[in-house]
This record gives sequence, C-alpha cells and structure tokens, in this order.
Amino acid sequence: MTDLPEESRTPVSLTPASWNDPHMQPASAHPEHVERVIAALFAAGLVAFAAFGAAYWQNWAPWTLGATLGAGMVLVGAGLTAWGKYLMPRGPFVEDRHVLGSTPEEVEAFNNALVERGATPVRRRKLLGGLLAGGLGVFSIVALFPLVRSMGPLPGNTLQTTNWRRGSYLVDRAGRRLRASEYGVGSVVSSVFPEGFEDDEEAQATDVVILIRAAKQGLQTSGPRQTWAPAGFYAYSKMCTHAGCPVGLYEREAVLLICPCHQSMFDVADGAIPVFGPAPRPLPQLPLYIDARGFLRSQSGFGQPTGPGFWERA
Amino acid sequence: MDQTRAQRRRALLAGSLIGATVVLSTLSFAASAGAQGHGTHRATTTTTTAPPRIIPPPRPPYLRANAGMAFSTLLQFNSKGQLVVYGNRYVKYYLPPDALIPIGEALYAQNCQACHGVLANGVPPPGTPGKGFPNLIGLGPATYDFWIESGRMPAASTTVTQAPRGPAKLNHMQAIAISAYLNSLQPATPYLPYVNLKGADLSDGAALFALNCAACHTITGDGDALAYKTFAPSMRNVPATQVAEALRTGPANMPVFTGNLTDRQLRDVVAYVTERIEHPQNPGGIGLGGLGPVGEGFIGLALGVGLLALLGFWVGDRT
Amino acid sequence: MSPLRMPTRPKKPTAGPAAKPTGPYGRFGKAVEELDERLGFAKGGRVFLDKIFPDHWSFMLGEIALYSFVVLLATGVFLTLYYIPSTGTTIYHGAYLPLRGQRVSEAYDSTVNLSFAVRGGLLMRQMHHWACDIFVGAIVIHMARVFFTGAFRKPRELNWTIGLTMLVLAILEGFIGYSLPDDLISGTGLRIAYAITLSVPVVGSYLASFLFGGPFPGNAVIPRFYTIHVLIVPAVLVGLLTFHLILLVRQKHTQFPGGGRTEHNVVGSPMFPVFMAKTTGFLFMITGVTALLGAFFQINPVWQFGQYVPYNISYAVQPDWYMGWLDGALRIMPSWEFVGFGHTIPFEVFLPAAVFPGIIFGICYLWPSIERWYTKDALTHHLLDRPRDRPKRTAAGAAMLGLLGMLFVASSTDVLANFFHLSLNSVLVAMRVLVVVTPFVAYFVTYKICGELQALPEGGKRKVVNIVSLTPEGAYVATPAPRTPGHVELEPEVVPAMIELDEPAAPPNGAAEREDAPVPARSVRTAPR
Repeated sequence: MTDLPEESRTPVSLTPASWNDPHMQPASAHPEHVERVIAALFAAGLVAFAAFGAAYWQNWAPWTLGATLGAGMVLVGAGLTAWGKYLMPRGPFVEDRHVLGSTPEEVEAFNNALVERGATPVRRRKLLGGLLAGGLGVFSIVALFPLVRSMGPLPGNTLQTTNWRRGSYLVDRAGRRLRASEYGVGSVVSSVFPEGFEDDEEAQATDVVILIRAAKQGLQTSGPRQTWAPAGFYAYSKMCTHAGCPVGLYEREAVLLICPCHQSMFDVADGAIPVFGPAPRPLPQLPLYIDARGFLRSQSGFGQPTGPGFWERA
Repeated sequence: MDQTRAQRRRALLAGSLIGATVVLSTLSFAASAGAQGHGTHRATTTTTTAPPRIIPPPRPPYLRANAGMAFSTLLQFNSKGQLVVYGNRYVKYYLPPDALIPIGEALYAQNCQACHGVLANGVPPPGTPGKGFPNLIGLGPATYDFWIESGRMPAASTTVTQAPRGPAKLNHMQAIAISAYLNSLQPATPYLPYVNLKGADLSDGAALFALNCAACHTITGDGDALAYKTFAPSMRNVPATQVAEALRTGPANMPVFTGNLTDRQLRDVVAYVTERIEHPQNPGGIGLGGLGPVGEGFIGLALGVGLLALLGFWVGDRT
Repeated sequence: MSPLRMPTRPKKPTAGPAAKPTGPYGRFGKAVEELDERLGFAKGGRVFLDKIFPDHWSFMLGEIALYSFVVLLATGVFLTLYYIPSTGTTIYHGAYLPLRGQRVSEAYDSTVNLSFAVRGGLLMRQMHHWACDIFVGAIVIHMARVFFTGAFRKPRELNWTIGLTMLVLAILEGFIGYSLPDDLISGTGLRIAYAITLSVPVVGSYLASFLFGGPFPGNAVIPRFYTIHVLIVPAVLVGLLTFHLILLVRQKHTQFPGGGRTEHNVVGSPMFPVFMAKTTGFLFMITGVTALLGAFFQINPVWQFGQYVPYNISYAVQPDWYMGWLDGALRIMPSWEFVGFGHTIPFEVFLPAAVFPGIIFGICYLWPSIERWYTKDALTHHLLDRPRDRPKRTAAGAAMLGLLGMLFVASSTDVLANFFHLSLNSVLVAMRVLVVVTPFVAYFVTYKICGELQALPEGGKRKVVNIVSLTPEGAYVATPAPRTPGHVELEPEVVPAMIELDEPAAPPNGAAEREDAPVPARSVRTAPR
C-alpha cells in the first residue's frame, strides 16, 4: 500500500484516470493474497448459508438458525467489504462542490414565475380566493371530528368513580369472597375486587385493591379512619397515585407498600401516606367492615378517584 | 441432589405415618379436589386435562380448608392426642418428632441462645450487643427450619439489616431438632411442609407467581432491592421445602400466604419456582441474568452498536 | 457538461465483422439503450456513480442506522405474517407449558406462538428487537458525530432537523412496538404512558380517552398501535430517510480538513464500485451481527412475563434503553403536585415525562440556530471541526450526554442498589444529586480537556515524542521533541489540477461572497468561540 510513488497520494478527479494511473491500482500491495482471503471468506459464507438451509429444513434448535445465518452474512459481508477496500481503485478521488444557491438571475426568474403567473390572478379574484380558503378552513376544522373526536368516548366521570359501593363484598380474582378469619396477621391478598367486577378489565384497572392484615394496629390518626381497618385489615387502592402501576410490593415488617415501577413508598399503618419517592398523594383507602358471617365488605366507595392525577381531579 | 435426599429423609422420618395415611388421603380426594378447584385461576379449569369442577361442600366459616392451617383433609394424631401430621395429597405438614427435643435444646443453647435468650423470647442475656432480637415463641416449626436450613441462622453478624442466604451452618437433622425443641415451648403451626410435586400444574403456578411473587422477587425470580437496605432475595437455588416454608411463614418482610394459597396452589407455585424459575429454559439464548431491558440495553449498545462501530472503523477507513 | 468517464480497458481487437455485438453491456446493450431512450438514466446515473464518499470511519455510523432499519423492515414484515393485533381473549394451547390453559389475548397468544410454533420465528422476533436497540443507538452516535464535528452547520441544518425527527420517531416506534406483545411488562409501560397522557393539564383526560378509545386498558390500543407501528411511522420514516439521503447527495458529504480536502471539493472513494462494495458488505455484516445477537442472546422473553392484566406487576421493570432516560426522570422527580381551584396538575408526571423531553428535543432542534446566533457565523461549512477546536460546543454536547446518561442510570436505581448492596433510598437521593451535578461537571471537564488537547504539540496529536537525555549530574531528563513545522498551520491546500466545473470557474457576481467566502486559516490554537 505504501510502495506507490508519492504523487499518487494526492486526490485526483475521476476524469483522467486510466488503468496506468496509480490511483486506479488496487489499494492492497499484494492483491493476490487478499483475493485468496476473500475467496475463503466467500466460500465459508456459502457453506454457512447452506447450513442455514439445512437447519431450517431439519428444524434444528433456534440458535443454529441465527448462528448459521449470522455467520454467513458476516463472512460474505467481510469479503465484499475487503474486495472494495483492498482490490478496487485506491484513489483518493476528488469531486467538486457546486454552489448550492441559485444565481440572482435564476432567483428573479423564479420569483417572476411565482408572482406574475401564480399570485396575481389570485389577487385579482379576491372573492374566489377567499371562498376557497374559507372552504378549506371549514374542512380542516370539521376533519377534526372523525380524526380526533371519534377516537374514543368523552372521559365523563369514568376516572372519578369506581365500582365499590356500600356493602360490596371483597373477592379475589377467582371471585371468591374473602373471609376475615382466613387471614392471619402478616397476610396479604394482592388483588381484590368488588364482587361482580373481577372479570372486567377496565374495572380491574380502577377498582383493584390490595388487602393487608398488618401487625401494627391503632397507629392511624384520629377521625373516621379508625374504623376503616377492622382487625388490622387495610384495603388500599392498588393503583399508584404517581403513574398508575399496581403497588403490589408489600414489606411486612417495615409495614410499607412500595410501587415496583418508580419506588414510591407508602406507610400502610398511617393511611398509606407517601414517605418516599415521586408519588404525591396517599393511596386511597377503602373503608372495611366485617359482617356477621365474617366476610370482608366495604363501608362505602373510596370517596375520591384512584390512580394517577389528572386535571379534573378536585 | 441434596434437596431430594432431604425430602427422602424427612419422608422416612415420618414414613410410618405416610403409610397409614395413604388410604385416608385417597378417600378424601374428591372433597379436596373440589376445594382446590375453587381457588384456582379460572383459566386453568378450561384445559382439557383439568379435573372436572366440583362444587365444594359448605364449610365452617371460620377457616379455609387445605390452606396451610390445621383444617385439612388429613389429620393424624398420636397417642397423646397431639396433632402430628396434617395436610392432603399435595402438601403434608409434619411435626418434628419429640425424640429430638433434648438434642434440640442442647443445640439451641449452643447456637441461638446468645441472642434469642434462654427463654427464646428475644431477650438475650444482659450485655449482649445489638438489639431487636426476634421472639421465637409460638412461630411454628416451619419458621425455625426455614431460617436455619437457608443458612440465615445462626447469623454471622447481629448488625446486618437483613441476613442473606448462605450455606447452612447446621445440618438438616440439627435444624429439625432445634425446631422440635422450640415448638415444644409453645406448639404452633405451620409444621414442616413436604410438597408432593407430582402432577403439579405449572400453568397455575406461573399465574400465581405473577400475581403474588413477581412484585417483589421480579417475574424472573432474581430478586431486587426493597426499601432502605432490605431486599427481596433471589429465588435461585432455593429447595422446594424452603419455598413452601417461606410461603407459609412469611420470613422477615415477606407476607404470609397462609389462607391466601391453598395447598394445591402452594404445590403449583413451588413446582413453578423449582422447575422454571430456578432452571429457566432460555430458548432464545443467554438469559442475561433476568435483568430485563437493563441487560438487553447493555448488550445491544456494547455488543451491537459497539461491535458494528468497530466494523465501521474497518469498513470506512481507507487512508 | 463535460463528460466524465470512468476509465475503460483498452478494447480488445474484435475477431471480425461477424463478431457478436461489443459495447460494455454485451447482449444486454440493446435493452439498456432502449431503457435509456425512455428514462435517460445515463445522465443522472453518472452523477450517482461518481459520488465521492469520504474515507473516514465516522461516516459509517449513519450507515449502521440505515442498515439496521433495513433489517427492521425485513424482520418486521415476517412478524406481521403471524402476529394478530387483537385483545380478544383466547386460551393458550401452545408448546410452552407454564402458559397452557391460561386465558390470554390474541396478541399475546400470537406472539408466543410465533416464537415457538413458527420455524425461525423466535430468531426473527429477537433480531427485530435487537435491530431496534441497535437502530436507535446508531442514530444517537451518528448524531453525536454530526454534532461534535459541526456537520449540522449551514447548509445542513435541514438535514439535522430531519435526522432528529427520525430519532424521535424511532424512539416512539420502539416504544409502540414494545407494547404490542401485550405481555406483563409492555402493559405496564402502556399503563405509565396512559398516566403521562392523563397528566397533561386541561385536556389530559380527553387525550387519554381518545388515544386508548376509552378507559384504560380498553380494546382499542393494541390494534391502533399496530397500525401506527407497521404503517404510519415506518412510512414517515422511509419518506424522511429518502429526503435525508437526497439532501446528502445534493449537498455532498462533509469532510475533515487536510490531505487536499477543502471547502470546495470532496475527497474519497467513488460510489461505484468502491463504496458500493464496501457498503453492501457492511449491510451484510450488520445483518449478520444482528442475527448472531438474535441467536445467542435472549431478548424480551414474553412467555416468561405472562399475559398483561392490570393488577399484576413485576419488580425490576424497565423500558428499553432509549426510554430509560424518561423513566429515570420519572423516578427522581420530587412529588410536586399542584392542587387548587378545583383542579390538579400532576407536575410530578407532567414535568419529567412531557415537558422535559420537549425541552431536550427542543434544544436539539434549535441548536443550529442557537449556535449560529451565538457565533455570528453565517458562512457555509463543508469542512468539519475537530471537537477540541470548538470547546464550548463540545462541552455543551458532553453536558447533554452526561445529563441523559445519568437519567438513564437513574432508571435502574433498584438494580444498582441490589447489585451493590446499597440502600435503595440512598441510591435514589444520590441520583437526584448526580443528575443535577453531572452536566456541569461534564461541561467544565470537557472544556478543560479541549483546551489541554489544543495545547498539545503537533496540534494535539497524541504521539508526543520525548527525547531522553542524560544530564552531566547523572539524571535523566525528558524533553518533548521539537514540533514538526508542517503541523503548526493548517492552510487549506490547493486542489490539484484536472478539475472541471459545471459552472464557469468564477461564479457570477454575488455567489462568490455567499458561498465561496475564504476559509480562515486554522491555527492549532483556536480561540474558543
């Protein structure tokens, strides 16, 4: 590569080059050696492609398909690259840049065509132009209806309410009613739904509750919340108030709920107040009671929207 | 495998009891199948292989049957009237034999007493450094066995936030003996579980794993960091018995799944964990440590883009 | 136009008058002639064949993006043959035991089936995903090259804008494609996307309802995302890509100074045959590397994750790497929610996930204008800068990469805390500090390094030759060798002869001032601009 005379290192344009020109010589000093290597690469690639065919035909393990295909591609590609790099004209060649902008004459001619031929007739027929613009304007506004409005229903109050009502039974995802006596201290039922809605996907996303029987009791501040967690059963909305991930991670000894997505931490025994991380609000708590037959039921709904924040949320 | 040997030993330990209860458990199959079918993910009931759904008979309202508590299909008492085995065809819970209590007492004094106290109530002798040693009274044999056999106890350090899994410092028989002794102070459930993995429903196990376990241990079972310095440990290399014990006792920050999982569901989860989580079949190649997109991004950028940039170096340079 | 001809071999004397038709195309000569009479491709084709590509490896980074896009299209077409974009439920009956009998969506079912039941399907799916990771990564490093060498300056601002738009679309396309399998992790990503849409003040709940066709999760989002993923975004990408390449040909490549390279020429290898061979070889190698990754590294094992249901969750869920910086921003954001006047503005989501990426991409879009306004440099540039010669730009770019890189790290706080046995809370607090501090540190360190590199002898070439000598006292002293004179001043070299311009050599009045302003001599120590 370096045994060529020095003047061949200067770039030349493509015009005068001939086969005697050093720029047209192969880049490699020993093209025949390179040719042998490339031939070997192509041959190996051929074998690999054939093996790919065999692997596909015989339905070998998935990795054999990728290995043979990949090997064939890399080998052939390396050979082709080497061909271009070492055996083709070594150059360097030069090409001129042309002025990108137009000459003033060209610009003027263009402007004249645009204004004289195009804009002036429009300017003379103001009524037609105005009506056309008006029509297109109306169309573009009207087009928003099928393009945007028809995409989905108005949100209404779907974000504001859940399916929890006074006296709703707590059921697991199989629809089984939960009985207080079945769960010892430290138990958790990771996904609880209001009875009748355990199969409704959209209800699942807003209604789902995580039920915890915590060891710490009576730590809640005064007020109505004292009666919300009978026998230490805390039911919190499982939708994180940050980005809506299910807050399924319960630490029993620390009595913390953690959101696995962005690690907001909620203090279970204290109304699920966020103690760390990006969540802004406590998880809404579902007030519970245990009925005469020992079933867990809700005193009422959440009284507030569940899940992440949005504009209409009061 | 050690795990299978341990299970065999345990089975031998209560071998006679098994023999006596086989007939009983066979007879109770219909009732228990009905009970478990009820709690199972409904999707599994649609498979052609699933047993026909049987409406469970009305149960006393106070306990869920076959859910890790003593209310079970199979109950076995000894001559003193003490419950020694309970369970069903999926999981059997054994009381550690009374004969081991004296050995356990000696082992306790040697290995545990310094922190947990003479009375095992978490009050160590005065002058012991550290604080907050757990009260061991009335936790059930499975709890004691889990902590000792997973190598977490006796703890190497009393100041570490969460004792990590390690090689067991006491052998299986010693762990059983200590469990027998501690349980004799105040008998409690759960007993030592023995899971019969034969015929387990992996699909049910996978669904239950995603529902109950993945939130902490990740869907691949590799574990992750929790609040402050606690962590959900990796579930690799956990013997079946210890998975069952952990589910039934809720060690440290883990919730207790007694009452939540039936014994049949427990068996399915244990089967899924020991067969698929611990031995993942990665048909697509190297599993990248279950790190998910973090590992994938690293490989994609370092091996993919990096290697191609190096190739581009060769392709592009001609000077 | 004076004819530029590739040299041809001297014609061999033909055997006789009855010999077969000669000409370069042999028996196809007639067909080529007929075609040219109708299309006239010889005129334009010549320009194409003669296009010069600079011989520098950094120009290959964009090709990685281009060819991984080709791989994406090819593998993607394969996947569309088997994937069903529907949330309709079905029972999985396939080969993967832990899913058998579970109720899954048709989207998930078909994804698992095309992985296990379709021959070569798993390879194609994994190649598609790996090619996506590579595609976005290659765009980013290609843009970093363009940025740090100043290739975005006049006249190439438009191409910078197009390229940046393609990056945005590529990220969007990747995220949408990630959502299609309807597995647990992709569904979690969709849930977060829903919350981000919801967080937009005033119209958020309407936007979310229109995008998802009702409340989350709904049945509309998978088919809609499928159409966007396989039709709309790829079509726009192909269009922009075509425009990108047309502009590249029209404006010709940039090049580094030196070796006869000036503002008025391009030096390198011609499109045909040299570059054609190399670039086709590169296409093959990129496909091959992607196939090898797909063969040996498992990516996104959806069968393990299970069907998405809104109440399930896995820990250690991260998005693909190119979304990581947004996830990191969501994690480190303090919980600043505005509540008042009967309304809520969830700034803790809206700022990091909507406003922040808008600002980042806005800066990128405006950068050519910002720099032009700051430097008052309105000249056309075809010669590239060395990054060290523009320390402020280089430092600003390093600050941006530092910020995004730190946010990317912040998206795996839990993995870091677990791996290094640290407190999760401390790691997150540390990341909050690092994300703020890193850009400034990166800026000043880079600025300093640029200055140091400029001050190096030989214009900053790494090889500094020291002459070691023995002093009379017996000590060794190393002194830098004297500079080579030729390297102190980098005058634009005179182009060698034999150049024929299309236009007259001296451009008409006006053009000379606009386009051919003299290139200032570059001294090694350039004053920071």
